[in-house]
Amino acid sequence: MNSAQLLLIIKRLAEGMLTTTEIFALTLVLSLPLGFVFCFMRMSKNKALSTVMKVYISIMRGTPLMLQLMVVFFAPSLLFGLTLSWQGWRFTAVIVGFVFNYAAYFAEIFRAGMESISPGQYEAANILGFSKGQTFFKIILPQVIKRVLPPVTNETITLVKDTSLAFVLSVMEMFTEAKQIVATTSSIAPFIVAAVFYFVFNAIVAAVMGKIEKKLSYYN
Amino acid sequence: MSKVLSMKNIRKSFADNEVLKDISLEVEKGEVVAIIGPSGSGKSTFLRCATRLETIDSGEIYYGDECMARTDEKSGVIYADKAQMKRINKKFSLVFQNFNLFPHMSVMKNITSSPISVFGVPKAQAEKTAMSLLERMGLEDKAKAYPCELSGGQQQRVSIARALALNPEILFFDEPTSALDPELTGEILKVIRGLAKDKMTMVIVTHEMSFARDVADKIIFMDDGYVVEQGDAKELINNPKSDRLKAFLSRFEN
Ligand SMILES: Nc1ncnc2c1ncn2[C@@H]1O[C@H](COP(=O)(O)OP(=O)(O)O)[C@@H](O)[C@H]1O
Ligand SMILES: [Mg+2]
Repeated sequence: MNSAQLLLIIKRLAEGMLTTTEIFALTLVLSLPLGFVFCFMRMSKNKALSTVMKVYISIMRGTPLMLQLMVVFFAPSLLFGLTLSWQGWRFTAVIVGFVFNYAAYFAEIFRAGMESISPGQYEAANILGFSKGQTFFKIILPQVIKRVLPPVTNETITLVKDTSLAFVLSVMEMFTEAKQIVATTSSIAPFIVAAVFYFVFNAIVAAVMGKIEKKLSYYN
Repeated sequence: MSKVLSMKNIRKSFADNEVLKDISLEVEKGEVVAIIGPSGSGKSTFLRCATRLETIDSGEIYYGDECMARTDEKSGVIYADKAQMKRINKKFSLVFQNFNLFPHMSVMKNITSSPISVFGVPKAQAEKTAMSLLERMGLEDKAKAYPCELSGGQQQRVSIARALALNPEILFFDEPTSALDPELTGEILKVIRGLAKDKMTMVIVTHEMSFARDVADKIIFMDDGYVVEQGDAKELINNPKSDRLKAFLSRFEN
């Protein structure tokens, strides 16, 4: 293989990288807040709600994400007879599948974080007159964020790698591109280049998360 | 004399465990009341009912002439509404056994966050008040520190400053020295003595008998959810009448 070919591979994979980054960013931005919503539902005093959430979370965690993506993609047509010829449906299905899967994981991480806060923090806030909302946003949330950062970092790194699962819906992210180039050129180089891309992506993620952790290390 | 706090016929159960069995307490302005008694007798629960961390099953609680809770024949216990509660909330504060400072906030923010964000005190004014409280606690150089950088005794002094920030009419303490190493209890007791001298109205749950005798005007001895004996602090410690109080006090002699 000459350098021109290699450059071509890198160029195509870099294009795929754009889609990969989109999946990554959208999933993170949507699943983190949704994870908090799920966490509250899971911790709700309403027994029915918390049970529904518990079952939902265990299904999300107990079945393959790849299968979940397929279900999301095919459900409208197979369950409701809708034909989704819309161009963007593949990508949307990937985002929906990722967001609802990752929100379930994040919900469990947040729940552990919330439960690790001592009841005394709520009591002190109560005595000082803080409302429920103020107590959550000013007192509880900042402490929860610090505590959940390490497991959230792990999940985020997993997410970078999981974006490659979008290939099952033929969304042209980096891994899908790499597979196609390998199929046409019968060279292993695209896989190696893809591996480098993922590795660098995760190095950046780890560095950013490390920075945030360091910023929050002013107390323990 | 004006009553700062009046609690009447308080009852409180957890499931079928009745923890407070018809307890009453009146505290006058400037008075210091100590509550003593064996562990599990309901002292903390009583303070938690007074400060609305627990709801009562029956009885009434008044701060001055503001009603926080009363019991109605038909509808049971009725608590003050939100607006009333906010007013009442300013009248009291509670110092916890284990401080419960906010670890992510500096000492200054721990003290000023409620005045500023709950009660709308201007930041500059809240910080000025906080600084003078820190001076009073001998911690004027710790305003920027975080709770984890302080000793237990210093943390408890910060939490007392935090409790004083809104200038409450009455201050509750639940075993303020019990989480501290013995050599650190003295600094907290000294602070509370200072507050008593300044005529701060206080209700203090404590196991420090000689401290209770010296500082309190009145002592209440609780056992098994009842007030077994109460009266003048020195009199009660020096001449206990009930057998249960005698037995309890004998455990502290050595
Ligand atoms: N939240 C609670 N739920 C159930 N039981 C409680 C609770 N809080 C206190 N109790 C019970 O109430 C009794 C009195 O406790 P407490 O008020 O803490 O006593 P003290 O402070 O005098 O040691 C104990 O038997 C305790 O187990
Ligand atoms: Mg107690």
